[in-house]
This record gives sequence, C-alpha cells and structure tokens, in this order.
Amino acid sequence: MIPEGRLDFGAATGFQAQLEQVLAGTRTALSAVIIDCAGLEYVSSAGLRVFLLAARTSQRAGLRFAICSLQPAVREVFELSGFSRVIAVHTDRAAALAPLPQGPA
Amino acid sequence: MIEQRVSVASDAEQLPVLTRFLKEFWSAAGLPPAESARFELALEEVFMNVVMHGSAAPGTQVEVSVILRDGGLTLMVENDGPAFDPLLLPAPDVAASLEERKVGGLGVYLVRQMMDVVCYQRVAARNQLRMTKRLPTGGASPRVPPGV
Repeated sequence: MIPEGRLDFGAATGFQAQLEQVLAGTRTALSAVIIDCAGLEYVSSAGLRVFLLAARTSQRAGLRFAICSLQPAVREVFELSGFSRVIAVHTDRAAALAPLPQGPA
Repeated sequence: MIEQRVSVASDAEQLPVLTRFLKEFWSAAGLPPAESARFELALEEVFMNVVMHGSAAPGTQVEVSVILRDGGLTLMVENDGPAFDPLLLPAPDVAASLEERKVGGLGVYLVRQMMDVVCYQRVAARNQLRMTKRLPTGGASPRVPPGV
C-alpha cells in the first residue's frame, strides 16, 4: 500500500478503511503487509492510530507488518511516539521485502 | 514581529482551514520548510483536542494566532468554554508493546516533544494554549531533533 500526502485526522478514516479492506479481503494469499511511505509527507496522532490498529490486526492474523521509505517529518513522529519500536521500519522497499530475520529490523 | 489570526468553528471539518492558514503564513514569512510539519502537527493535535474533549460547545469559535518574534514562532489556540488543560492528560506509555499501545494522550505528548515551550492558561474565562519553538536561522543549520 502506498499512502500519499497528508495523513491527518480528516484522512485517517479513509486510510483505515482501505487498510482494513486489504487485511480482510486477501488474508489467505497474504503473508506480509508493507506500507511504502515515500509519498507520505505528514502524519499526526490520528494517522499513527491507523498504523497501530493495522499492525495489531496483522500480528493477530500472523502477518508480517512493516513500513518503509519514511520522509524525515514522518520518521520523527514514529520515533518520538515510540512506534518505531513496535512497528518494523525499513529504509526502502527492497529492505522491507527482504527475507527477514525474526523480529523488527 | 508578525502576527496573524484566524477564527474557525469548533468542528473537525475546519481542520483543513487551519492547516491552510498555517501553510500560507509559513511561505509568506519564508520560514524553513523542514520545521513546518512540527507546527502543523501541534496545531492539529491541539485543535482536535479542543473539538473532541468537549471543551468547546458546538458552534463556539476557536481562535488561532501565529506570532513570529525574535527568531521563535508561537502558536496560540484559544476558545471559550469550561476550563480544560490538555497538558494534564496522562502521558502515554511510549515503551508499551504493540498489544498494549494506546493512542490517547499521544498527540499532546508529541507536541511537547516537538515544541520548546508549551503552556496552558485560563484567561478571562477562555482556554489559552501557547506553543513556542525557536526556528533555525539562515536555514543552513538544520537542528537534529532531540531523541533521534
């Protein structure tokens, strides 16, 4: 999934619905959910909440959940909130897709 | 000193109006783009707190001021209504596991991390929250945010 632009309070609901659809619809074929944030310029706590719920749903379903290619402003929010400790953050998509050692990178 | 002010209804639908106001101020004043997202976040989190925590009755106005002075930018959010100090919200446990993580209080926590000074005052039966942060001068020396 590739969110773009601003993930603020107004955009969070739509993004959540999209993510839920991905998580529900293709569960059998899915082994990992990777969110490429290269086009994401801004995230607030409303956006973080959606990432948290999706990561949790993925974990419960036995799916790997990771995000990659964070812009500096978005990276700062993930780091200050401590979310980068509970959600795997990769530098780019290749790293996110690489066969993983267990646990967050 | 440059000061600008905008007034919007206490309604989540008004968030884009505030974001646009701040972005326009930002480019008009030629402020460093790298600092913009921190103030946008501060404005969103504080405004949404006012809207969601019921400190402003429906139909009341929220006033936002930006004040550029002495190399620092202050964002001030004011509204009528019962006293509500968002700084008293319990801090989130930022070390909790994925299962135990909560989002409540996270917005205000982020604002406190990103701004130099955040203070709440009850002034003439209004809630007033002020957030100030120094801006790097010249733009050639980006500051490394704390904790990174």
